[in-house]
Amino acid sequence: MIKMKIGILIQLLKNLFSKSMTVKFPHESIPIPDGYRGEHDYDINKCISCGLCAKICPNRAIEMVEASEEYREQYQKTYPKIDLGKCCFCRLCEDICPKEAIKLTKNFFLSTFDPSTVIKYPMPKNEV
Amino acid sequence: MSERNSTIKIMRGSLGTMINQIEELTDSEYDLYFGPAHPGSGNFSVKLKVDGEKIISARADPGYLHRGFEKLMEYRLPIQNAVLSDRICILEPLNWNLVHAEAVDELMGIEVPSRAKYIRVLMAELSRIQSHIIWYGVFSIGLGFDTGFKMAFGYRDYILDIFELITGGRVYPAGYICPGGVRRDIPKSAQDKILKVLDKINEMIKLEKLENPSLRSRTEGVGVLSINDAIRLGATGPVLRASGMQTDVRKDDPYEIYDELDFEIPVRKEGDAYARYLIGIEEIKESIKIIKQVLSRLPDGDFIDPSFKKPKLSAKIPQGEVYIRNEIARGEAGVYMVSNGGNTPYRCKIRGPSFLHMIPVLEYLLKGAQIADVPAIYWSLNICPADMDR
Repeated sequence: MIKMKIGILIQLLKNLFSKSMTVKFPHESIPIPDGYRGEHDYDINKCISCGLCAKICPNRAIEMVEASEEYREQYQKTYPKIDLGKCCFCRLCEDICPKEAIKLTKNFFLSTFDPSTVIKYPMPKNEV
Repeated sequence: MSERNSTIKIMRGSLGTMINQIEELTDSEYDLYFGPAHPGSGNFSVKLKVDGEKIISARADPGYLHRGFEKLMEYRLPIQNAVLSDRICILEPLNWNLVHAEAVDELMGIEVPSRAKYIRVLMAELSRIQSHIIWYGVFSIGLGFDTGFKMAFGYRDYILDIFELITGGRVYPAGYICPGGVRRDIPKSAQDKILKVLDKINEMIKLEKLENPSLRSRTEGVGVLSINDAIRLGATGPVLRASGMQTDVRKDDPYEIYDELDFEIPVRKEGDAYARYLIGIEEIKESIKIIKQVLSRLPDGDFIDPSFKKPKLSAKIPQGEVYIRNEIARGEAGVYMVSNGGNTPYRCKIRGPSFLHMIPVLEYLLKGAQIADVPAIYWSLNICPADMDR
């Protein structure tokens, strides 16, 4: 007859009365530490259009494009367009940026059904 | 009349094929595909020739996960390759980061700051523990011991929390260990957190001792690999150590700060699946010892060579070639890098431990085994299809 160890039963009883490991997600969530690599936060007013972010991007997710027509008078150079579908969130664009125009935020809610929302166009922050 | 003749002919013909089919059915030899879309195989397949329950021959069929890293690396800068080197093995990205970064360091002649060396070893050992925990998890579920699987993946999450805090990503560190050092300093709160997590891992090891008796009976004496066969077939790491050879690159050819640290190499003589599993558990304990030593000695200073703090587009790799080998969780990993003076490597050959474990060793062990023992043998080898196909 196989000798059963009772240690696992003690563990089972402990688990019955301990707090659960999971949290009730939409109402509460596990805090995310600083320095998490999530969605990009881009500030067009700090950008000097050097294009370093597009050159360092390993997946070529960043492309330098002109601003849309309504902003073309104000912003005449080229600015990074970020394709989040190609992005691997390595933070090399943030590291190489000389003016801290691109920063990675803690936002990781990026799944979508609409492919057009995957591409981030360079627009001024408060006007879109 | 002719119509009747033709129907009789058809009937005779179909009777003939039926007899043939019956003969085929009574023949007990058949082919069995294990993977690549099998839940118990990972992205890898083995073609088994089976007679009843016994395996006559096994043939590994690699290539399902091939992504061509060696070619991709020829077109990218070293810092971009550091990000790419995560993906060689999904289960232990930091160890692969370290092999790649060391190769570039040696080619470029970079003197890595001592704090960076300590952080590198700390992260590599955490990654090793995490990888061994996955090994234990998949080994358990392969044998139908679901409790072990859930326990392992639950405790692995504590280590992923540390990775999230230090590198910014749970699974992929995105080239955290990069040429010149590491990309970020470890935060002040990390030290206490790591010590707490190590306590949790110790707790898990205690729980593993309460293993299911069925796990033991299904693995003891299964897939026995003798030491001579292990050496002949090119096994390294835990598989070779479970067969009785005391070998570890961290001791034999120390890199980073391993020569200053005090740890032992667990060795077993049995060479079966159960011995390999025990080696995994022993190695987790040794890694915990290493991490505690590293944390107590962590020096102050730079975490990266000052000239590498900002990624550079124009940095040239001096002409030359280098072969670096490291002990990663699965065995011996190597990177052979050749540069002709440009800013990308001319050639980068990656030597993964899983290639030899998954083709010659697995084929040898499966021959003559029972079908029910396939998962036990397959998962006891601590293999990673991603690392093999590259």
